[in-house]
Amino acid sequence: MAIDTTVIDMLAVFAGSAIRLATPLLIAASGELVSQKTGVINTSLDGLMLSGAFLGIYGSYATGSPWLGFIIALFGILPLALLQAFLSVTLRANQLVTGIGINILALGATTLMYRKVFFESKAGAVSGSYGFSKLNLVDEQHFPALANVLNQSWIVYLGLLLLVCIALVLKKTALGISINAVGESPQTVDQSGLSVVALRYLGVMTSGVMASIAGCFISLGDIHTFTEGMTNGIGFLALAAIIFGNWSLSRTALACVLFGAVSALQYQLPAMNINVPPALLIMLPYVLALFAVAGFMGKQTAPKALTVPFFRH
Amino acid sequence: MQHRQIVSKSALGWQVRLEHITMNIHSLFKHPAVRLLTLLLGVSVLSLLLSFLIVQTYGLSFQSAWSAFVDGAWGSPYVIGASINRALYFALIGLGFILADQAKLANIGAEGQIAVGGIAATALCLYGGAAHLPHGIAFAYPLLGAMLAGACWGGIAGFLKAKMGTNEVISTLLLSFIAVWLLYCCVQSESLLKQPMNTSASLPQSLPIPDSTSMPLLFASSGTNLNVGLVITVLLAFVIYTLMHYSRFGFHLKSVGHNANSAKRAGMPVFSTIFLALAISGAFAGLAGGLMLQGDQQVLKTGFSSGYGFDGLVVGLLARGSVLGVFAAALVFGFLRSGGINMEMVAQLPSAVVLVIQGIIVITIAGASRWLSKQEG
Amino acid sequence: MMDVDYLTSQQGSASVLSLQGIKKSFGAFQALKQISLELHAGEIHCLLGENGAGKSTLCNIIFGSLKADEGQILLQGSLFQASSPKDALHHGIAMVHQHFSLIENTTVLDNLLLGRSSGVLNRQQQASDIKNLLKELNFDIDLNVQVKDLAVGEKQRVEIIKCLIRQPKLLILDEPTAVLLPHEINALLRICQRVAERGCGILLVTHKLAEIKQVASKVSVLRSGAIVDFSDQPIQDIDRLVRSMIHKESTDGEVQLLKREVSQTRLVSPNARPLHDEVLQVNGLSYTDPSGVKKLDNVTLLVNKAEIVAIAGVEGNGQSELASILSGMLDATAGQFFVEGQDLTHASPKQLTQFGVGVIAEDRHDTGCITPMSLAENLLLNHLDRYSKFGFLNRKKLKADAEQLMHRFDVRAASSAVPFGRLSGGNQQKAVFARELTLNPLKFLLASQPTRGLDVGAVATIYNHIRDARNKGLGVLLISSELDELLAVADRILVFYRGTIIGEVHAAQANREQIGAWMAGQA
Repeated sequence: MAIDTTVIDMLAVFAGSAIRLATPLLIAASGELVSQKTGVINTSLDGLMLSGAFLGIYGSYATGSPWLGFIIALFGILPLALLQAFLSVTLRANQLVTGIGINILALGATTLMYRKVFFESKAGAVSGSYGFSKLNLVDEQHFPALANVLNQSWIVYLGLLLLVCIALVLKKTALGISINAVGESPQTVDQSGLSVVALRYLGVMTSGVMASIAGCFISLGDIHTFTEGMTNGIGFLALAAIIFGNWSLSRTALACVLFGAVSALQYQLPAMNINVPPALLIMLPYVLALFAVAGFMGKQTAPKALTVPFFRH
Repeated sequence: MQHRQIVSKSALGWQVRLEHITMNIHSLFKHPAVRLLTLLLGVSVLSLLLSFLIVQTYGLSFQSAWSAFVDGAWGSPYVIGASINRALYFALIGLGFILADQAKLANIGAEGQIAVGGIAATALCLYGGAAHLPHGIAFAYPLLGAMLAGACWGGIAGFLKAKMGTNEVISTLLLSFIAVWLLYCCVQSESLLKQPMNTSASLPQSLPIPDSTSMPLLFASSGTNLNVGLVITVLLAFVIYTLMHYSRFGFHLKSVGHNANSAKRAGMPVFSTIFLALAISGAFAGLAGGLMLQGDQQVLKTGFSSGYGFDGLVVGLLARGSVLGVFAAALVFGFLRSGGINMEMVAQLPSAVVLVIQGIIVITIAGASRWLSKQEG
Repeated sequence: MMDVDYLTSQQGSASVLSLQGIKKSFGAFQALKQISLELHAGEIHCLLGENGAGKSTLCNIIFGSLKADEGQILLQGSLFQASSPKDALHHGIAMVHQHFSLIENTTVLDNLLLGRSSGVLNRQQQASDIKNLLKELNFDIDLNVQVKDLAVGEKQRVEIIKCLIRQPKLLILDEPTAVLLPHEINALLRICQRVAERGCGILLVTHKLAEIKQVASKVSVLRSGAIVDFSDQPIQDIDRLVRSMIHKESTDGEVQLLKREVSQTRLVSPNARPLHDEVLQVNGLSYTDPSGVKKLDNVTLLVNKAEIVAIAGVEGNGQSELASILSGMLDATAGQFFVEGQDLTHASPKQLTQFGVGVIAEDRHDTGCITPMSLAENLLLNHLDRYSKFGFLNRKKLKADAEQLMHRFDVRAASSAVPFGRLSGGNQQKAVFARELTLNPLKFLLASQPTRGLDVGAVATIYNHIRDARNKGLGVLLISSELDELLAVADRILVFYRGTIIGEVHAAQANREQIGAWMAGQA
């Protein structure tokens, strides 16, 4: 009996961590997928997430309310997302390079602002906790295992809701048809009277806002603080999830859950006295994505016009 | 009537001259070199303005920030040497980048290729018998190993591109992350490269490399800390230049980059050209990793390649295909970095300001790339 | 066959499209000279003509992709020039292109709904609405299939439906049967008839007589940018129409130039040759493209030494695929080809060049040359072995040899360092000839559409080169859709239609009408 509960407890803790680690990936990836379906890739995903994370904490600190901080993050990311859209769609610049540029810019800018706001230029740690506490859906006393799994930050549930919304829009609305079409054949969409530019801007802005929410989850929802460069490449992991999920929303979501689970193993396995170097586990999602992109997992069907700027003939 | 005619004639003359001037400026701006220079000028001005603003908001004096920067960048022979050393790493990565760029291939995995280069060099230095080699070669052997490791890493992406058409940007990026975590693995595990644990040495890093495998110093007395890496880099720059402009391989690179179909029809080996382009590009980044280890760092630790890869990538992008451009950009970034570090230590201005400037440079150059390369007619 | 009652009942119908005096030039080249055409509701008006006659240009002008330089277009009586395809669609002009614009990874239904629906979809309602329309037209298609899983004929039907759900007044079809199988062609023609019956005017661009005989109520013949013939009883006038399609005015300087040369070269009797001196032997060559269309069907032919064999036919009947296979750029699905007895079916381009196969590619910008590189580099693009030592290119020797070639072949440019793209079309092509004709060894020359887009002087030079090569003992396979040029230069003419050789004739016995009929599919 005692062994059983320990196993269940461990599984519960594992599941809870997996959800926690998968959520930012899921939110960012589902937003970015919309953008990629319109044909624009945002390698700046990491920078956008980092910016969202900072804006959330800053807003929470400045206004005293994490809710206002969250809203500030949603609106504050818009100029940056707009810049990315302008570069990729209007200026038709190399989408991969501009994304990297924005990443560098975001890292520098958030570090500068963070130090200015919180420490007047010295590096350090934010004192005090800013953010949302976890929801208390399940009574921890009576159902400890279930509590571990379900008592997450409200943003997790927001993420799931947004995922469902995106799925519905893509599958059941005329806008969804247009979004799917623009990344495959923008010329066709242009000929049928729709605006390729408007759809692509929509894609990039969606990705930006979702990235910001994902960043807020990490800072406001999870760690309750901000540290410099805290996203540490997680944006690229979201991109890897999309590649591994072969640009299908459901498969990308599963990939995010898989990657989250693999990340959770980092903490779980030592607790079970299994000594796998954590680096191997962190590496695994990238290896999987590489296999996918090398064609080992069936044919990759990226949107045909992905990264290709649109020129009307 | 006559009076009006005379007036209108001279007015016309003035207008015609103005038109001439605007037309001349306009046609001047059609020249790509002019556009590039204008853009660089604009970006420099913007960067200075921005740094000024940032310094102001931080409540520091521009004077103290500037003097700290200058001290850190070129204030002493030692610091100049450090800046140049940094510039060399960027230059090597940039050289590799522009070679692959000839074939319109973008290698953005330098960060990872540095890492595997560092791993290979460390392994050879510490455990590969390099220490026992005669003095002149002891440092060369691990460097070659680093180059080979980098070549393999870049070659994977090259193979995937040539065989499956896999976008090399995505593959080199993914490989980069994998390599960084591979490095982490190596220095965390004693069975790999981690130093043996005891009370005084428990950090996740390798043992220091033996002195004999360190890069030999140049101008040992001047205190600049410059090493043979400088000579190697300059030599390799000549090699790259010759390859790109005088060799058959360089011709193949350009042809494949412009039109792989015609290149194939003309009998050129498209597969091996693509593979070698990315492999050589990786080799250069791997060499940078080896130099970093055997030059400055002497120890392999996590975060070994942090930031150098992307900085090198930016240098490659800014160079726009020119070897001189690589060195120019590399020097600028090398000194920027050194100055930035000192600014942080002394004047309390976070070096992140350098990141902001770098980001703006990349965005501006990338955003203006179509304008820059628009040919007239 | 057309129902006579149907024809007469349409005589009094409204004018849908009226073209008056349309002119269009591209630089010095006059693509359209004073085109006038009347199209009425309910009729299928065929536009008959060879390649280069100006059919595509005319369609693009009507559809708004191009603007006419002069002339008027009246759409249902009012003046109208579409400013863009979107504009044309908005005003009731629809066009089915040769290259489909469909989203492959989506269902037929979603392709049809693109841009035509908003908000939340009720797919079932939309589907049944479309099905009703299809029922009226009496053809069917599965709306829930992914486009990429459709056969080419079915994809084209989706394109047509895309046009029809907009209830257009005018439907233009540009060579629609080029990619269709025989039974699909019949189905398409029936659909056209039904669409016309509902009051739409149809402009059907084609070079195929069978189609004209089946559905046309009116035929206009387009040749060299002008309407040279017209008939409202196509079946009776079919022979006259075919003649009009391929006949060139005798005042055309080009033909005179060639004719002069012809009388001289005909002195070489093609029958005085030893046996077994085949240079090229093509044996049962077949090719099926990735979408399943058979582009080459069991082609067997041979080319002898000192012989020019011409392949005539309208473009798109398999000639491009044959050229690609013979130049090592495409793998045949079946069959072989031999050059001087050597099986080169799977040889790489490098091996072919080394063996002595010279190729003038159909599209020099795509496969023949590297346009941004210099003239010198392009002149010696596949001769690099001669200029490399220890991996280095001897640029000085390259430049010297390039200049020699320029002089020898009259390639005019400021210098050999000029970017290839800056040269005129004629000089570019002369450069390509210079390159291929100086291969050593050179056993066989394949020239695909070598005079496309060139002026009279350049054309004459090109044919002089081809004739010189033949006189030196080379075997030449010349693929061209310019019938007059072929007649003046070839020793033997083969006609391609739908991937096979539909007819073969010696030049001495060649007859324009016969060849024209073959080109149009009449065996």
